[in-house]
Amino acid sequence: MQHVRLIRSSTFLWAMAVAATLALFVVGLFAFIYWKLDDYLVARSDRMITTQIHFIAELPPARRVSAIADHLEQDSRGVQYAGLFDAAGNRLAGNIDRAPRELGLDGAVQSVRLDLIGKPSVRDLVVRAIGERLDGGDILVMGRNVDETREISSVVGQALALGLLPAFSLCLLAGAWLSFRAQRRVEEVNQRVQRIVAGELRERLPEGSGDDSFARLAAMVNGMLDEMETMINALAGVGNDIAHDLRTPLTRVRLALERGRTQAATLEELQDITDKAIVGIDQSLAIITALLRLTEIENSRRMAGFGEVALDEILREVCDVYEPIAEDKRIGLGVVIKRNTLVWGDRDLLFEAVANLADNAIKFTPSGGRVELALEAEGDTALVRVSDTGPGISEQEREAVLRRFYRSDTMRNTPGVGLGLSLVAAIVKLHGFRLVIGPAPGGRIEILARIGRTGRAVTRRSRTLVHADAE
Amino acid sequence: MNRILLIEDDTETAEAIVAELGDRGFEVQWAGDGVEGLDRARASSPDAMIVDRMLPKMDGLTVIEALRKDQVRTPVLVLSALGAVDDRVRGLRMGGDDYLTKPFAIIELVARIEALLRRPIDNRETVLHVGPLELDLIERTARRGERELDLLPREFRLLEYMMRRNDQLLTRAMLLEEVWNYKFVPATTNLIDVHMGRLRHKVDGPGDVQLIHNVRGSGFVLRWRP
Repeated sequence: MQHVRLIRSSTFLWAMAVAATLALFVVGLFAFIYWKLDDYLVARSDRMITTQIHFIAELPPARRVSAIADHLEQDSRGVQYAGLFDAAGNRLAGNIDRAPRELGLDGAVQSVRLDLIGKPSVRDLVVRAIGERLDGGDILVMGRNVDETREISSVVGQALALGLLPAFSLCLLAGAWLSFRAQRRVEEVNQRVQRIVAGELRERLPEGSGDDSFARLAAMVNGMLDEMETMINALAGVGNDIAHDLRTPLTRVRLALERGRTQAATLEELQDITDKAIVGIDQSLAIITALLRLTEIENSRRMAGFGEVALDEILREVCDVYEPIAEDKRIGLGVVIKRNTLVWGDRDLLFEAVANLADNAIKFTPSGGRVELALEAEGDTALVRVSDTGPGISEQEREAVLRRFYRSDTMRNTPGVGLGLSLVAAIVKLHGFRLVIGPAPGGRIEILARIGRTGRAVTRRSRTLVHADAE
Repeated sequence: MNRILLIEDDTETAEAIVAELGDRGFEVQWAGDGVEGLDRARASSPDAMIVDRMLPKMDGLTVIEALRKDQVRTPVLVLSALGAVDDRVRGLRMGGDDYLTKPFAIIELVARIEALLRRPIDNRETVLHVGPLELDLIERTARRGERELDLLPREFRLLEYMMRRNDQLLTRAMLLEEVWNYKFVPATTNLIDVHMGRLRHKVDGPGDVQLIHNVRGSGFVLRWRP
């Protein structure tokens, strides 16, 4: 099974294809070299024998015999052939037995079969030869063995065998190895993924060393897993926070009821205790309601409630609602509209976000201070700023305030559920806007909104950003 | 006597609601699932309905849609454990009906049912009267007896809402939703009380008979009992 998978794996098949193509190219290359070399050698011997035959033919008849003998004597390898025949075809000199009949005596080089003296058809010797009829009627034949090309072809063949076979095998081996390695890694990844699926959230894919695509993919997936683990842990943390925040009012209720059951002497006293219990339960319910609301907004994928929203109206309405509260606390509450703009969003949710910011600002600003709701616009960005003269949010707390249930330690006793800012963050995120928390002292929170419908497409992908400074 | 149809599958919740509404003089019919509820609604044509959203056999909103298709205009109060960020709920609210998220205070339920039953008739009156209180909607003026009341726009709006529903319990949540158009519970819980305190300060001067009454733990009533 393993072998079949290996052979059928695409890596291996690709290696095979590459090896085959390579072999084809190499064979082609060698054939070309062989052909060219052969051509060159034949042309060279043709030139040589032509020169020789001209040389001998131009000699006086008396010196031709000795010239042929000299010529043959100088050829130690025995690749030169020559023959001088009289008009009747009798041999006068040289090592050629008789002039081959198919040889035209027109001075053109051609391939012929020669019969040599003393070597009666040892083999079918095909040589390049040239023949010429001399003045006196004699026939002169010169030839040269071009069998060297066969040697060359055998050398080429050997080279081919020596080079190509190992290369081909190497290709196959490499293919097999790569595909085996890939499969092993896939198998390893598979096993780890199974463990992650089984709930082992700490498990990561092997990234290995180096920078191959596998390692990069693994690094990417691991990054994703990190993010998810953080989120899941955060959720678990939220669970703890909820439990803790619910326990406090519920404990009060329990104590009040227990005490009331034994201590209450009159109906009025019992009613008083019951009222207290109801207040405590309402507090717990408020926490749950706020949490559900947050989840609802965070999970909301619908833009059905979206439309053109005039931000200045929202700011004025929020101011209208909170003015008496601010006044009671002797805090000045004002709206500054620098430029009115329309944004694409859910009116109710945006109102909720701004109201929450104003609520927070008023809550945390000391008496005698001031809270300002401002609307500005520049380019395609609208800016809603809620600023106050309170302590602001310190650098360390900037991330934390967006977390659910976070309440700064100094504010532990301020009434509230501690979900306000995370709710704002969720609403801002749903709209694809940005939330910017400015530096302390002085509270300053800004919502950067895209003007018009353009903001619609970018929603959800963009994350809520917390900036180091507001500028 | 007003007849109310309650469609709710949780027995304990249903029993508590039936008992409370019975004490307050309503005649309550109870259906335990959507199909039965729809049948009863068609058969008995109640004055108002309380419908749980998640019901066996047929869900609450489907029941209401079926009734609306039959041109039944009975006011409906929807109960739900789900939040209200929902298109169908938005549509429902547009139709003038009401939505109450579980868990709720029973007094809230009663107040809302009474509000649905006593929905102010679209009167063309431009001047509202409750006892010595007079509100001119055209001139945007308010007076108590001879005394001119200097109201801010939001106070005027609040007083108008209360005068149209005089002698009716108005809960904080109802006021938030109807007067301030809030679709959520504000973090500052005494928001309404502060506003109401200001309005009362202007309406009920020293020595005057009290018109705006605080109903402990529930809300407010505008009532003239000389």
